[in-house]
Amino acid sequence: MLTYALKRILLMIPTFFAISVLVFLLLNLGAGRPGGSELSGEGSQNAEKGDNRESYRIFKEQFNLDKPILFNSRYDLTREDVEATLLEVLNLDDSVSLEAQIEAQDRIEDWGLYAIPGLVECLKNAEKVEVRAKASERLTINAQERLVIKYSDDKAVKKTQKALNRETAAKNRAIKPWFFSVGDTEGKTEADVQSFWADWWAENQSRWVYDTSDKIAIFFTDTRFAKYWGNLLRLDFGISHVDKKPVLQTLLSKLKYSITLAVSSVFLIYLISLPLGIFSAVRRNTIADKVVTVILFMLYSLPSFFVAVILLNTVTSGDWDFFPNLGFTSPNADELTTVELLFDILWHITLPILCMTYGGLAALSRYARTGLLDVIESDYIRTARAKGLPEGIVIIKHAARNGMIPIITLMATLLPALIGGSVIIEVIFQIPGMGSYVFTSITQYDYNAVMAVLLISCVLTLIGMLLADLSYALVDPRITFD
Amino acid sequence: MRWLTRALHSTEGAKKMSNAPVKPGQEDMTFGDIVWGQFKKNYFAYGALWLLGVMFFLAVFSPIIASGRAFIWTENGVTHYPWLNSLFDDNYYENGVDKFFNLLLVFGVPLLLAWLGVSRFVYGGLTKRVRRLKIRRLAGILTLVFMATFAWVMMTSQGHKNAYNYDDYLAAQDAGKDVSAIFAPVQMMYTKQKLRDKLQSPSFTADCAEQGRDADVCEDYILGTDSLGRSVAVRMLYGIRISLSVGVIAVGIYVTIGIIIGAFAGFFRGRVDMFIQRLIEIFMAVPTLIVLMVVVSFIDEPSIFHIMLAIGLLRWTGVARLVRGEFLRLRNLDFVTSAIALGYSTRRVIFQHILPNALGPVLVAAAFGVAAAILIESSLSFLGLGDINIPSWGQMLRDGYLTQKMHLILIPGLGIFVTVTLLNLVGEGLRDALDPKMRK
Repeated sequence: MLTYALKRILLMIPTFFAISVLVFLLLNLGAGRPGGSELSGEGSQNAEKGDNRESYRIFKEQFNLDKPILFNSRYDLTREDVEATLLEVLNLDDSVSLEAQIEAQDRIEDWGLYAIPGLVECLKNAEKVEVRAKASERLTINAQERLVIKYSDDKAVKKTQKALNRETAAKNRAIKPWFFSVGDTEGKTEADVQSFWADWWAENQSRWVYDTSDKIAIFFTDTRFAKYWGNLLRLDFGISHVDKKPVLQTLLSKLKYSITLAVSSVFLIYLISLPLGIFSAVRRNTIADKVVTVILFMLYSLPSFFVAVILLNTVTSGDWDFFPNLGFTSPNADELTTVELLFDILWHITLPILCMTYGGLAALSRYARTGLLDVIESDYIRTARAKGLPEGIVIIKHAARNGMIPIITLMATLLPALIGGSVIIEVIFQIPGMGSYVFTSITQYDYNAVMAVLLISCVLTLIGMLLADLSYALVDPRITFD
Repeated sequence: MRWLTRALHSTEGAKKMSNAPVKPGQEDMTFGDIVWGQFKKNYFAYGALWLLGVMFFLAVFSPIIASGRAFIWTENGVTHYPWLNSLFDDNYYENGVDKFFNLLLVFGVPLLLAWLGVSRFVYGGLTKRVRRLKIRRLAGILTLVFMATFAWVMMTSQGHKNAYNYDDYLAAQDAGKDVSAIFAPVQMMYTKQKLRDKLQSPSFTADCAEQGRDADVCEDYILGTDSLGRSVAVRMLYGIRISLSVGVIAVGIYVTIGIIIGAFAGFFRGRVDMFIQRLIEIFMAVPTLIVLMVVVSFIDEPSIFHIMLAIGLLRWTGVARLVRGEFLRLRNLDFVTSAIALGYSTRRVIFQHILPNALGPVLVAAAFGVAAAILIESSLSFLGLGDINIPSWGQMLRDGYLTQKMHLILIPGLGIFVTVTLLNLVGEGLRDALDPKMRK
């Protein structure tokens, strides 16, 4: 048993890794880009207006969006690649569409330091003067070193970090003016710029000489995915680009609402469906059984968002104003005592829980019914009846205990399903749980938040599946995994 | 003439057979016949299947029931057929689902009728088994012809300049022109907006006359209008097309994927099985609805086909597990061993010998799956993430949720509920019919 569990847990690691690759690719290959497409487009079109563009670049660096997704082969960038991209950006003969131009602009910006050797070559040897000018302009941007964005909490480290930042900023400032533009007589002349960058290159050239191990390291680790996983190992899910707060922190604060809903509706489902299932099994093929079956069947087919909307429009307003229409607590929740708060919450979550519960009833009571029917025909039940036990004891003590075994194990799979499936209910009733959080995050292209929710619910489901398998063996001694 | 002689020949054969002790018709009762017989005994499921058939026909015949264009339009002695032109007009029926059903209406139904007549006449005398084989081949050819025509229509359809709408007809009559036209019973398309008439209640409710500008306008909308003044009744009618096609196509995709993957895992076992099980685990752990929301919202202009494809690519795990289990069970039976011993190719053993015996549970899963896919699509549209150009029931419900109009909540909601219930009933019926324990 223990070895089996260990084996399963070890197998979960590659599975989780594969899931993370899949989800990561899905999110990053999507058409939408975080930061809003308007920011990107605007920034590219007003490339000369510096400010906007600069903030977009820093935003991309901050979220590692300038890096390639899975593999990085930018150590191989040649002069031809860079020159072709520069020509696209310049669009000298008007042959490039606006989208392609913006895309090229983004591309050369994302290449960052990797484009330096190519740019230096372009500056030195390109035929067209416009390309040389553009190369010098790109050099002043691409050759800038990264600053430390987030200071450490440790004071000594913070001090050195600050000193380092000052030094880097000074270097960056020194590079900044060394570009020339075509037809501009007031700025620097081409000869000066050329000689400056020639000196600079001679001094710094060694930084762009990669041996094989460097290349392998860059290929696998200097990517979005590797950076994300590096953070994930420290349980850091990144920060949301909407509110700039750590995603995990927000998520944990949301989790309590979703868990409250999920746990209480699972509890209710079991509380109602087990007796219903036993009732149907004992009275099998009677009118009562058929009525129960038909009603449950109808409930099972009733879409929960439909019921939720009907409830919202009938019992929360007008003549039947029995329930609040949104939220998890009343606005004045801070002033309430604990008992009052408890009732307030209960009053608020009655309708959502109702909507989440009724659908599960049919499936579960059906399982309970068949589970009990399998047992009720067996020999030991006949023996129990034969020795004169009252029917109630036979059913409850002898039959139900064995017949309910398969139902208990369903709980492990029900819980993650409810957490994932409560999105619509949470959105409709405006409960600030995980479901509505993931919905708003998706509409705002908040990658880190969506990724975190997906990964967490995947882990919950994996654990649920493991627990389901293990609980079979726990409750039924006939099943072993050895 | 070959088919005629063969037909005559086999009629003789059938006559000879009838002298044998075996009753006619009993001699080749296939598994399908038994299941179908069992299924027919379940009145609820059988009735549900009939009702679904009615829904399908409503979907196909929607343009005959409700269309803004005139069937026939005669002006100054010149006759036009605008309705027929509109069926494949990009500006009138914008999405592919509508074109598909329109093609079914124009070509599919006549083909079906012709085929039914021909098969009765040509294959009437053959034994059941041979007839079934022939019919299957003919159906395959007809489907191919149909799909080719569909592709051709999708590529070549284009707009027509002249509009022969009901409003034009009224205007022409007011102007005293010599115009006569024949229209569908409901002279409206689901896209037709009239903001003046927005949020009308259904004509049979009491507050309709109070709300409406006058009784005539009110009478136009049997089920009221939505927030853009479009007729709810017409949108519900065309919505059947969306719901049915989403369910069927999405399930078709994932059943195909699931069967292939499950068959490989169950037939080859060992490492292949191990790998596929991991793959299944991965896809099972991913929460479908959230991933669908991500996919749909990240596509620039999501169409209904994207949703179908996404559902199909995400939900195949259930079918794959079922097929894998069946294959593991059947793999060791004698008929498979003998098929392998006869030297049949692996493909033939898998798809012609084992697969037909493993299809029962898949069929049940597919019936429930169609219901689930319809629910998923309406959930997505309800959240406002779907294709905004289609008359999806989920979107109408969203309209009701936002405007708090009861008729806009109840009508599409009941539409979804009824469709899902019917499909679930069929699924239950199939499950019982396939279960030997339940056989009476």
